[in-house]
Amino acid sequence: MTAAREALHLPILFLTITLAAGLRPGAAVMLTPPSLFSLILAVLLVAVLVQSGTFAPRRVINESRPALANLNGGMLAATLIVASAQMFSLLMPDAGLPRTLFSVYFLVLMINTMAASPDRVRVLRSLAVTFGAGFVLKFVVLDALSDPAGGRLARVLQVLFEGVTLGVLTQDAQHPAAGYIAFIAIVAFLAALSLLPSAARAQSASSAIVVRDA
Amino acid sequence: MSRSRETVVRAAGLTITIVYAVLIGWLFVRQPASFAEVTGGLSSTVGAYRIDQQAFEDGLRYFRNDQFAEARAAFERADTARRDALTQFYIAYAFYRQGWGRFYSDDQLYRQGLETINLAIALAPEGRLVVEEPGQEIRTADELKAELERGLQVEASDFDPARVFRQRK
Repeated sequence: MTAAREALHLPILFLTITLAAGLRPGAAVMLTPPSLFSLILAVLLVAVLVQSGTFAPRRVINESRPALANLNGGMLAATLIVASAQMFSLLMPDAGLPRTLFSVYFLVLMINTMAASPDRVRVLRSLAVTFGAGFVLKFVVLDALSDPAGGRLARVLQVLFEGVTLGVLTQDAQHPAAGYIAFIAIVAFLAALSLLPSAARAQSASSAIVVRDA
Repeated sequence: MSRSRETVVRAAGLTITIVYAVLIGWLFVRQPASFAEVTGGLSSTVGAYRIDQQAFEDGLRYFRNDQFAEARAAFERADTARRDALTQFYIAYAFYRQGWGRFYSDDQLYRQGLETINLAIALAPEGRLVVEEPGQEIRTADELKAELERGLQVEASDFDPARVFRQRK
């Protein structure tokens, strides 16, 4: 991995994702910090990334590197954790039963992925599916169920749906831009994860040195 | 990449990342609602923020003529970033005067006034704001805040018939 990618490109990308994922457009634009539970999920996600070799912290922080390079590595790890927490905050509904269900869903998924101990490619695929499903459920399905601007039939169905579910599923309507911002943030986050210094690349680099030595 | 060039890239990367992270942290803490508030907040941090003096003078003129909605519009135009304590004081004062009534006060306007005067107090150096203006009865942010809070409370004195003879400040 180049010094520019480690010191500049990836931390800036993760910070931009943090900003975009915290953005709540509306009549008054709001910036929402990650919840405490999102931070716990972020730590689990980083553990999964390290376990699978998607992120090899030893490549960016170790005793053989200069202090400045280790600071860059530390900054990269810190921005990764914050961006991960913001991603979970972004994908979780704001309130009610869906928030609880999503929280349990993400927690179980992270623990399950750790237990399965998949490799880098499988973890990246699994995260794409997890975040994609979360995006569709929150920004497409729940948003459609909570949209007050629909036609008369839609509103009748919404009232019936609220009656059946005792109003625990519907959420506050979101700004039309929210879904687009979330989509860009998710794609950027997955791209950034694939650019992290991985254990597989370190291994292949060291094998190449061994072959040359032989 | 040579070692010296790599050091420059790493140092620049660290500096830029820290500055960007501080900026994002500042945005999350301050919660600016518009781009004007972002730029105004940043320029006030370095002491470079200036209100639109002409709009402020317009606001004062409207305020003295009891045109409170117009006054607030002019004051808001003068201080788009909501970073000037004096302008926020006058916006709150306009809410107070418009909401004041001989028989009852408008709670909604008073609540907005209270919110604005709290902002003005937060913006003023050490929370102290004194406005020496001839003919103006309320001269400090603390007095205005107390008036607004009194207006929002229901007290026994609210039912005193002599209340109708009190004067607006």
